Amino acid sequence: MQTRIVGPVARTLRAAGFLAVLSALIWPVQAGAIALAIDGWVGSGAGGLSVPAAAATVLIGGAIRAWLDFRAGGLAFDAADRTIARERDVLLRREARARSGDGSAAIAALIVQKLPMLHPWITRYYVAMVRVSVVPLVLLIVVFSISWIVGLVLLAAGPLIPIFMALIGIAAEKASRRQLAEIGTMNGMLMERLSALLDIRLLGASDRVTRDFERRADALRNQTMAVLRIAFLSSTVLELAAAIGVAMVAVFVGFTLLGEITYGTWGVPLTLGQGIFLLLLAPDYFNPLRDLAAAWHDRAAGLSVVAELEEADRADRIAFVGNGVPGQPLDGPIRVRVSGATVDLSGRVLALPDFDVSAGEAVALRGPSGAGKSTTLAAILGLVPLSAGQIDVCGRRLDADTADDWRSRLSVVPQKPHFADRSLRDYLTPRPDADVSIADALTLAQACPIVDRLPDGLETRLSESGGGVSGGEARRLMIARAVRMDGDLLLADEPTADLDPQTAAMVIDALKGLKAAGKTMLIATHDPALIAAMDRVVTVSPQNMDGETGA
Amino acid sequence: MTALLRILRLLIVASPWSMARGAMLAVLVLLMGAALLGLSGWFITATGLAGLAGIGIAFDVFRPSAGVRLLALGRAAARYGERLLTHDATLRALAALRVDLLKRVARRDGRQLQNLRGEAALTRIVADVDALDGVILRLFLPVLAAVVTHAVAFAALWWLAGAPVALSVLVGYVPAGLIILIALGWRSLSPSRTAEDEAQRLRRGVIDLIRDREASILTGSLAAGEEALLQTDRTARAAIRRLDVQERRAGLILAVAGSVALALALLAGDWVLSRGSVDAASAAIGVFVALALGEAFIPLRRGVTEIGRIIPAAERVLSEAEPAPVPSKEGRCEDATVLSLRVGDKHLSLNTGQAAVLTGASGIGKTTLLLRIAGLSTLSDARISILGRDPSHWAEADLRDAVTMVPQRSVLIAGTVRDNLALTGITDERAMWAALDAVALAETIRHRDGLDTLLGEGGSGLSGGETRRMALARAVLRRPKLLLLDEPTEGLDTETAAKVLAGIRAALPDTAILAALHRDVAHPLFGARVSLEL
Repeated sequence: MQTRIVGPVARTLRAAGFLAVLSALIWPVQAGAIALAIDGWVGSGAGGLSVPAAAATVLIGGAIRAWLDFRAGGLAFDAADRTIARERDVLLRREARARSGDGSAAIAALIVQKLPMLHPWITRYYVAMVRVSVVPLVLLIVVFSISWIVGLVLLAAGPLIPIFMALIGIAAEKASRRQLAEIGTMNGMLMERLSALLDIRLLGASDRVTRDFERRADALRNQTMAVLRIAFLSSTVLELAAAIGVAMVAVFVGFTLLGEITYGTWGVPLTLGQGIFLLLLAPDYFNPLRDLAAAWHDRAAGLSVVAELEEADRADRIAFVGNGVPGQPLDGPIRVRVSGATVDLSGRVLALPDFDVSAGEAVALRGPSGAGKSTTLAAILGLVPLSAGQIDVCGRRLDADTADDWRSRLSVVPQKPHFADRSLRDYLTPRPDADVSIADALTLAQACPIVDRLPDGLETRLSESGGGVSGGEARRLMIARAVRMDGDLLLADEPTADLDPQTAAMVIDALKGLKAAGKTMLIATHDPALIAAMDRVVTVSPQNMDGETGA
Repeated sequence: MTALLRILRLLIVASPWSMARGAMLAVLVLLMGAALLGLSGWFITATGLAGLAGIGIAFDVFRPSAGVRLLALGRAAARYGERLLTHDATLRALAALRVDLLKRVARRDGRQLQNLRGEAALTRIVADVDALDGVILRLFLPVLAAVVTHAVAFAALWWLAGAPVALSVLVGYVPAGLIILIALGWRSLSPSRTAEDEAQRLRRGVIDLIRDREASILTGSLAAGEEALLQTDRTARAAIRRLDVQERRAGLILAVAGSVALALALLAGDWVLSRGSVDAASAAIGVFVALALGEAFIPLRRGVTEIGRIIPAAERVLSEAEPAPVPSKEGRCEDATVLSLRVGDKHLSLNTGQAAVLTGASGIGKTTLLLRIAGLSTLSDARISILGRDPSHWAEADLRDAVTMVPQRSVLIAGTVRDNLALTGITDERAMWAALDAVALAETIRHRDGLDTLLGEGGSGLSGGETRRMALARAVLRRPKLLLLDEPTEGLDTETAAKVLAGIRAALPDTAILAALHRDVAHPLFGARVSLEL
């Protein structure tokens, strides 16, 4: 689990850790200078350091430490940045390609909001680990060489920290996971409600929805506080252990200097300088341990993110055929042949009808709702992979190599209107190299008045479902877009389903015009008027796959 | 900057008592930290002096050592209390702010709601509000604590160790600290803003690409869409890298300033000692306090680099208009006429159980008029009275109970059919089935998983016509006095349309119905006809 994240950047992190250790080891030198200078004030020391020399040591040492920490931070940042870039790349290249059951807002939250939670884990935890394995040990040796009893105090207080930290680590990770899950839920829930806000308002449901959201927002606050509470409590206990350790050192040194304690210093009396040196070292003995404990929570959060990433890796996905790149149009006349094809729709196997479409033909795909008309079209478009059988297009098998080239010969009218977040002009420019002008396409689809009526015309951004235009108007815009795609084969899924008879007649006229212009057509519909305008009917039945009849 | 201050006030006012206690404890933590090291240093030096002078027995060890222990314990406890209080108060205020934002968005007028893009509102409520948590936790409280601590430490050092020591600590830290932090804040404004903007763009883009997936595949633009998102990610990360460099550079200079303060304290201590104004123990206090004060400025770096991200987010959050004031319940008393409508010289009045059609070509203003009747628009100059009162004089909840409108484009939500129907506030299964029956949808739903039929994002899984009927079923469940239907038969074939209209009437015999249709419907349901030919 950790190797996935840390493996590729382990070298960089080791280098960062090395610099951080160097920096920490300069402190004893500075502390020694300060101790000797103060010792000199009292006048007890033999050959104390002059105060200017001590001040210079403090200053130079401080500057070197600051620089080392600066470099170490830079290396750690690099490691974290590379990791986030890598994971984001994987997610971005996968989630739109192969959909899982997760909502788009939850995935966006994972990519944008949760991935950066790996950052503190990578930058802090590993550096803290390296420091903890070197610095306390070195300081302990130094302290023992002066006073074994102070060494024992530190030795006793130190290991408490990692033990305690491991205990709370488990609780912290659980809490982090719940918090992450809640972030996903809140995003998903909110996205859906926001998209349907007009309906919600008109149904008088604003208050109910707001209350639901309030509960979600509150649940997220609670989960976040649960994570923080563990973090705060643990860091308090650790700080306490460190503070008590330092206080004990201070008191012990004080009593020794007063002469009330006479043991623990290898038989020689403790000088004031040594006492101050011990006092200055004590906090830095605990610091790496405290940092590690704090980073332990970053680790818990990071591991929770990794768990979500791995869950996303394992999710059932529906891929599509091809790569979603612009293709070189397949050669030859249009021809579609579906033979023995079945599609696996998450457990439910659907058999597609066997049929042919040749260039210049207009074929209606008929059948009751749920029989698989839309799935048949999706399979021909390469939007769902086949589990058996095959589809041939222009005499070649439809597979990953041909799918993009095949699609570049198609025009498509999907079943439901969907407008991405871009202007109508961009919506009506599905491919960069269209031969048909926007004006011509709008005219053919009888959609000119719709655009004229919109205050911003072609610069309008419609809402996702096409709020701002009626269903019939949205349908005509979709047909205009299909015209602009300028394919040789037009596939349409119930193009008149959302329309009243009058508008439907307009759409059928537009389709007839395209047919007259030489386009081949395959249209899923159960509209008798549209079926009558086609040359031939293929029936899709829910049970099996045959039944080709003339119209 | 005013936006920042307004947000700050908003967050503090949400729970002033917790914030005040939190601020007090934040100051206490830093002061106790400084006092702990100062006292320890003094204690050791003083005991050293006493030991040398041979007066160890007379030295009062108990009060200082008790003080050291008290400060150690008190500091940890204060830190815990401070963090818990301020984080809890901030998170509460932010959660309330999110809910408030949703309320405000929901109170927009009909046109705006119709054109609302979910992903844009989502980034407002989630990301912009998230950006604000640093205002208190990483900016206001640390600045306050640092300033107060330095002031108190300065006074205390002056008193204990003399002016030179106090001044050296102050001069070592404060001017350098202030200059560095102000410079850092200034230089990070632009990258910080870019990082947040691009992150939000990435969030919206991911949602948009996933929801528009099929169209992108069909036009071969999926790969290009992914590449565009990766480019956004690169821009965002480049900005974060610039921020990181700025922050680390500031950290480097602050650390050097800390060393300068320490060295100065040492030299100043030596100087006051040589003049004999204080003893060595008091002079040592300065050194130790200088050491401890290093932790006052360091945490400010993070907060300062966030200013560039906080200000635009605060501006966007605050720009969400105040919700309209709740109208006073004035106007005439209840009227038998459910709806009375006067547009130009045309007049229509509907009583219980009556129905009328509003006709007119596309774009003539039928939808606007319906939204105006539903109280979601002020655009139309029509004179309207619902049960004797203008829609704008109704309280929102009462108006929603009396009037339900089915807009032209209805959106369903992910979840079960039951979840969608329950938006009406009615959870009774029999009522749900009756409503589905009225719109000729019961059969379809029964053949799937009944009320537990799962719908995907945006209600996907139902066809256009089924979506339409689901929306009508919700309206039936509301049992309003006045039902406004915007193109109710669109998306339905003639036969189903007739069935649905008859079903709605049968289910709601007493409801007055006004339907906008852009073609003439000769349905026996509609008695009156208002043509909006202007």
